[in-house]
Amino acid sequence: MSALAQNLGDYRLTVPAPSTAHAPARPAGPPPGPENFEGIVDDYQRRLYGFALRMTGNREDAEEIVQDAFVRAYRALAKMDPQQRAELRLQPWLYTITLNVTRNRLRSKRPTNVALDALADPDALLNETQEGPDQPEAIVDRAADMVLVEGALLSLPMHLRAAATLRFIEGRSHPEIAEILNQPIGTVKSHVHRAVRILRRILGPQVGRIVHADDTKEISDAVL
Amino acid sequence: MRCCDLEALWDEIRDGAAPRREHMLAHLRTCPPCQEMYEQLEGIAYCLTCLPVVEPPQSMVPKILEHLHATVRSARKPDCVAKIGSPIGPLYVAFRDTGITYIALDRSEGEESTLDRIGRRLRRGVVLAQAPKWVSDTIEAFFRHHKPNYERIDISELTPFEQAALRAAAEIPIGQVRSYGWVATQIGAPNAARAVGQVMARNPVPLLYPCHRVVDSSGHLHNYEYGLDVKARILELEGYVSIRR
Repeated sequence: MSALAQNLGDYRLTVPAPSTAHAPARPAGPPPGPENFEGIVDDYQRRLYGFALRMTGNREDAEEIVQDAFVRAYRALAKMDPQQRAELRLQPWLYTITLNVTRNRLRSKRPTNVALDALADPDALLNETQEGPDQPEAIVDRAADMVLVEGALLSLPMHLRAAATLRFIEGRSHPEIAEILNQPIGTVKSHVHRAVRILRRILGPQVGRIVHADDTKEISDAVL
Repeated sequence: MRCCDLEALWDEIRDGAAPRREHMLAHLRTCPPCQEMYEQLEGIAYCLTCLPVVEPPQSMVPKILEHLHATVRSARKPDCVAKIGSPIGPLYVAFRDTGITYIALDRSEGEESTLDRIGRRLRRGVVLAQAPKWVSDTIEAFFRHHKPNYERIDISELTPFEQAALRAAAEIPIGQVRSYGWVATQIGAPNAARAVGQVMARNPVPLLYPCHRVVDSSGHLHNYEYGLDVKARILELEGYVSIRR
């Protein structure tokens, strides 16, 4: 393996590995059903909340989306026959439901405009995240950077945001994303690509600064 | 090998899955603009992984479980079904505390089969009962001025798409019709005319949610669960005159 490929490999270690980090939480045991649903809620609530939060940028919305998604999942499971339950791929199915609920909710609220407004005025966003006046400067800077990244992600159209979130934040493989979004793999790849291009345009030179500000990370050395 | 190919395939290169990966890496080693681009793309992926993981509030799971238990309790309780006379023949109206859940027109199949049919559609038990005043008032008001009180109808078990389509149908003025495509456009899904057709065909509360006012794009009645004669009769009662079979 070339030195560059080796280094690329090293760099990839900082990104959640798709194949193992998200292995199904319930690989064995009984198929999902109303009788073991509390366990399913326990297993998946954090992940689905994190996903809904990245999709909406709003904690209250994310909480309500997850609640709604679980209730829908429960009702759907209750109507399935045993064979359907046995064949069900629970994790992508729960993500699909969460995404559908998110879509319906965002369609009526149109928060993307809010995100864009906020992006035009980063100070406003920054003020929302600063909790007190006494924070050390570096932490404030870091929080401000994360607000920028979050705002950029939220300004993407929803289908691109979903692709980018699943790919880079959740670390999922293209086939997994294709299953969740019910899209061909080629479409998923193209959406991921378009999302990154837009994020690159929005964040521009900030990216290098954010990466270098993190002293645990030496991106130039790692890539080249 | 063009620089733009490398940009498009960056995500697959880092996955180790891109065709001609070694070839691209060789190009990357010799092309400073691509190196800069690659660094930026990697930087964006890195920035996204840095977004803080936010824990859900501790109250979330108890709330979800409480909501689920309420759903289960309410699902176990049977709906009541009352037989109510109307200008288009007897109606079987299913209802519970939350509102009217189902309306079946009499197909002369007998009371027992009708109740069976309603129970199968609602996926829970049903019991025959007398109509409370709010139920008979809602039905009577519909035939008097064709505008029901929507707070007395419970379609909460339908999907958001189904609910949106029925609500859009309820916006069609009395005495007029609209196409399936019109409903689809109203709910922001202009390509979903066929899906709207499915929703109208499975409408659990016909009459009150006026699926009879939705026709095909050429103005023909198209279809109705209880037959085109019934659809035409309801539209006549509402004052719609240009009926086309």
